[in-house]
Amino acid sequence: MNIRIVKSTMLIAAFGAMFLALFTNGARAAIDGISGSSFNLAVRTGQISTPDGGSLLMWGYADGAGLAQYPGPTLIVNQGDTIIVTLTNNLTVAGAAPPPNVSIVFPGQQVSIAAADPGVLGSLTSEATPGATVTYEFTATNAGTYTYYSGTDSALQVEMGLMGALIVRPTAGVDHAYNHQDTQFDREYLFLLSEMDARIHEEVEFFGPGSIAATDYIANYFSVLWFINGRAAPDTMAEANLALLPHQPYNILPKMHPGERLLMRIIGGGRQMHPFHHHGNHARIIALDGRLLESAPGLGPDLSHEVFTVPSHPGTTTDAIFEWTGKGLEWDIYGGTDVDRPHDCNGKAVGVAQDPGAPEFDPVTHEYCADHGKPFPVIMPQQPDLTFGGFFGGSPYLGSLDALPPGEGGLNPNGGFTYMWHSHNEKELANYDIFPGGMMTMLFIEAPGVTIP
Amino acid sequence: MRTIKYLFIAALFGGLAVNGGGHPASAGILVQCPGDTDGSADWATAGETQPPNTKCIHLGAGDGYVTMADGKVQYMFGFSDLTGLPTRSADPNNDADVMAEGTLAAAFPAPPIVLDEGDELYLTLTNVGMMIRPDLFDPHTVHFHGYPESSNIFDGLPDSAISINMGASLTYYYKLNDPGTYMYHCHVEATEHMQMGMLGSLYVRPAQDGTSFVYNAKTYTKFAYNDGDGSTGYDVDYPLQISSFDSAFHDASESTQPLPFALMEDNYAMLNGRGYPDTINPDPLPAQDPTNGGKVTQFESALITASAGQKVLLRISNLNVTRNYTLGILGLPMQVVGKDAKLLRGPSGINLYYNTNSITLGGGESVDAIVEVPADATTGTKYFIYTTNLNYLSNDAEQFGGMMTEIVVN
Repeated sequence: MNIRIVKSTMLIAAFGAMFLALFTNGARAAIDGISGSSFNLAVRTGQISTPDGGSLLMWGYADGAGLAQYPGPTLIVNQGDTIIVTLTNNLTVAGAAPPPNVSIVFPGQQVSIAAADPGVLGSLTSEATPGATVTYEFTATNAGTYTYYSGTDSALQVEMGLMGALIVRPTAGVDHAYNHQDTQFDREYLFLLSEMDARIHEEVEFFGPGSIAATDYIANYFSVLWFINGRAAPDTMAEANLALLPHQPYNILPKMHPGERLLMRIIGGGRQMHPFHHHGNHARIIALDGRLLESAPGLGPDLSHEVFTVPSHPGTTTDAIFEWTGKGLEWDIYGGTDVDRPHDCNGKAVGVAQDPGAPEFDPVTHEYCADHGKPFPVIMPQQPDLTFGGFFGGSPYLGSLDALPPGEGGLNPNGGFTYMWHSHNEKELANYDIFPGGMMTMLFIEAPGVTIP
Repeated sequence: MRTIKYLFIAALFGGLAVNGGGHPASAGILVQCPGDTDGSADWATAGETQPPNTKCIHLGAGDGYVTMADGKVQYMFGFSDLTGLPTRSADPNNDADVMAEGTLAAAFPAPPIVLDEGDELYLTLTNVGMMIRPDLFDPHTVHFHGYPESSNIFDGLPDSAISINMGASLTYYYKLNDPGTYMYHCHVEATEHMQMGMLGSLYVRPAQDGTSFVYNAKTYTKFAYNDGDGSTGYDVDYPLQISSFDSAFHDASESTQPLPFALMEDNYAMLNGRGYPDTINPDPLPAQDPTNGGKVTQFESALITASAGQKVLLRISNLNVTRNYTLGILGLPMQVVGKDAKLLRGPSGINLYYNTNSITLGGGESVDAIVEVPADATTGTKYFIYTTNLNYLSNDAEQFGGMMTEIVVN
C-alpha cells in the first residue's frame, strides 16, 4: 500500500490491456501453438517485457525464421504420428567466447536422433553446435500434456527461456484430452508456469553465459518474476500475439459458460513448485505427466480426485477438468425475484413449481433449478461503504450489469462471474516489488448467450 | 441508480427476516443474522430464536500485535471475533462500540470457523481500520478458500466484486453443502494482507456425524467425510494451520516503510499462529500490554491431546505466502483420507487413502489425516509433528522452535 502511485499506473495498464483482450476477440478457446508432425525450431535471443517496466534478455525457441519466444512454440501433434523436430542453434552471446550448444529433451517420449543430422552428443541428449543443427524423432505414442526444454546446461538454459509445451491430441479427437469419454472438454487452456531470477539474465546479457560460473546465482536461486505462458500479470490477460510483446505471444484468459467442461493443462516449466489455486470450484485432476489416472487401460480416470489448488511441480504436467454451475448457492444466480430479470428454468417461471422428475439443470442455461427463484440472501452495503473491483459489473447476478460510481468496473462488459486463478504462494503475485502481478489471471464465466470466441 | 436498485432489493428481501426490523438504509455497521434482533450475530438476548441450521459470525478486520515464540513483538493485520456484541439494541445505550472493540484486537490466527453440513452461514465482516497505520484506507474481505461452486459476490476477491471500507459491514452468505477442511483469509492485496496475518482455519463437519459406524471393531460417531463406511471416523479433531511471517516485512509495515515484496523471506514458521514451544501452551498467550491496549490476540493453541487408542483427525491447511512446507510426524503414520475438502476417493468409489509420515503442502492446500494413538501408549507419551524443512525449526535466530507441536497422550 505504500506505492499507491505505482499501483494506480499498474491498474491503468491492466485496464488498457483488458480492453484489448475483451473487444478484439483476441482470446481463443483453442490453445495457441503450431500443429503438424515436422517442426523447425531455432534458438535465438530476445527480450521479454515485464509489467514492472523491466526488460530481460532471454534465449528462446523460435518457429523457423520467427522470433525467439517465451515459452517456445507450443507443439500440437496427433497421437500416433512420427514427429520430427529439427533444431538450429542461432544463439549469440556477449563476450569473446562462442555461444553454447543447445538441445531439446522431450520427457515422456522415446526420442531418437536422426542419422542424417546427429548433432554432437551432450550429456543428456544430442546438441546443436553454434550455427549447426540436430534432428530429433519420436512417435507420439501417448496422448496428453507434455513439456520440452533444453537438455544442455539446463539449470541456466531453461532459466534463460528454453522451454515449451507439447500437446499430443488423442485419436478420440480434438475435444478429448485422452482416449476416454470422461476426458472430453468444451474448452482447453494451457498454464505453463515459470519464474525468473533477473540477476542471471543481467549477468548473461552483459558478460555472457560463461560468467555465471563465477556467481552463486544458480545455486542460490532467487526468483523475482513469475509467469503463466511467458507473461506476468496483468500482461497475462492482454491479447495474444500482441505487437507490444513480440517475444511473448501467448496470453492466458480462460473463459467458459456454466455447465461447460474446461480442461486445464498445467505445466511446471521452471524450477519451483507453485500451488495453483483456481477460484470458483474444485477441479478434477485426471492425468499426471501425460498419463491418465486410471487403474487399468480403458477404465478412464477412476483414480482421479478433486482439488481446489493444483500442486504444480517442476518438470511435471497436470491435466484437470474444471466445471461450474453455481449449484447449491441457495439463491438464484440470475436474480429470480428481481422483476427486471425474468427467466425460466426448465420452462418454469420464477414462482412456478418444477415438474416432478424435471432435470436438475436447465438444459440450455445450466441453471440449477432447485435454486430457481430463491431470493438474494443478504442486504448489500451502500456504495460509499464499498470498494469496487475492476472486474465487477455492479450486480451480484450472472450476466447482469448495474450502475457503478464513475471510474469503477469496466473490465467485465458482459457481467460475467470472474475468478482469480493464481499461485497461492502469494509472494508470486508481484513483479519485483510491485503488487499486483506475477502468476495470475482471471477466469470469466460468461452468462449463457454471451459469445465466447 | 444503483443505490435505488439496492434499496429496492433491500425492500424486497429485507423482510425475509435477515434482520427483522433492521435499518438497511442506515449503512455503516450492519450485522445481518436471521432471528437475531440486536445485531449481535447470536441469539443470547431474550426473545431471540436461532433458526435451524443457521450460524452467524461477526468478524472485525483491523490490525494489532502478536508475540513470536522468541519474544519478538510483531505488528500484524488480522480478524477479531466481534460475535455477541449488540449493535442494534432496542435501547442504543446497550450497543457495544464495535469499532473500539475491534481496534488492535486482530487475532492470530483468525478465529476458527467450525460449521456443519447443511448450515447457512451469515458472516458479517466489519472493517475497523488500522489504528497503527492511519495512512491506510485498506478495505478488507473474507475469502472462503475452496468454497465449491462459488459465486462472484461472496468470493471475497476484491478485483472481481466488492470489499468493505472502514466503518462499515458486509455480510457474506454461504450454504454449506460439502464437508471438509477449508480455510479463510482476506484477499485484498493478498500478498500483503496475508503476509500480515489475515488467516484462519475453517472446516465443515459432515452430515454423517451423529450416526454410528463400526470400523475395525470400533464404533465412531464423528467423521471427516460422508464415507458411508466409517473409515474416516475419529475421536478428536484438531485444525493445524501452517503459516509463516517475515518480520522484516511486518516491521516495514509498522514503520510505514516501502514493503519488501521481492525480498520477502519468512523467518518465523508456525502452526496455528505460534512457534514452538508456544505451540504446546494450551492457553491464550498473554496480552501485549500496553502496546495492544491489554487485548489478548493469540487464542489458539496447537497442542494435540488424545487418549491411548484414539483416532486423531488432523485438519492440516497451509496459508503461508512464500513457500511449500513439509510436515512430518515421528513414531506414528498418518492416513490421508481427504484432500482440499474432498474425500480421497475416485469417481467410481475407489479408495485413494494412503499412509505417510510426511505431507507437503503449498499455500492454499489442505489435507485430512488420521493418526491413531497406540492402544498401549502410556500417559504423557509425546509424538512430535514438525516441519522437515529443518531450517524452519527455529524462531528467527532462536534454534529448536518454529513449526513444531506435540501429540500428548492423556
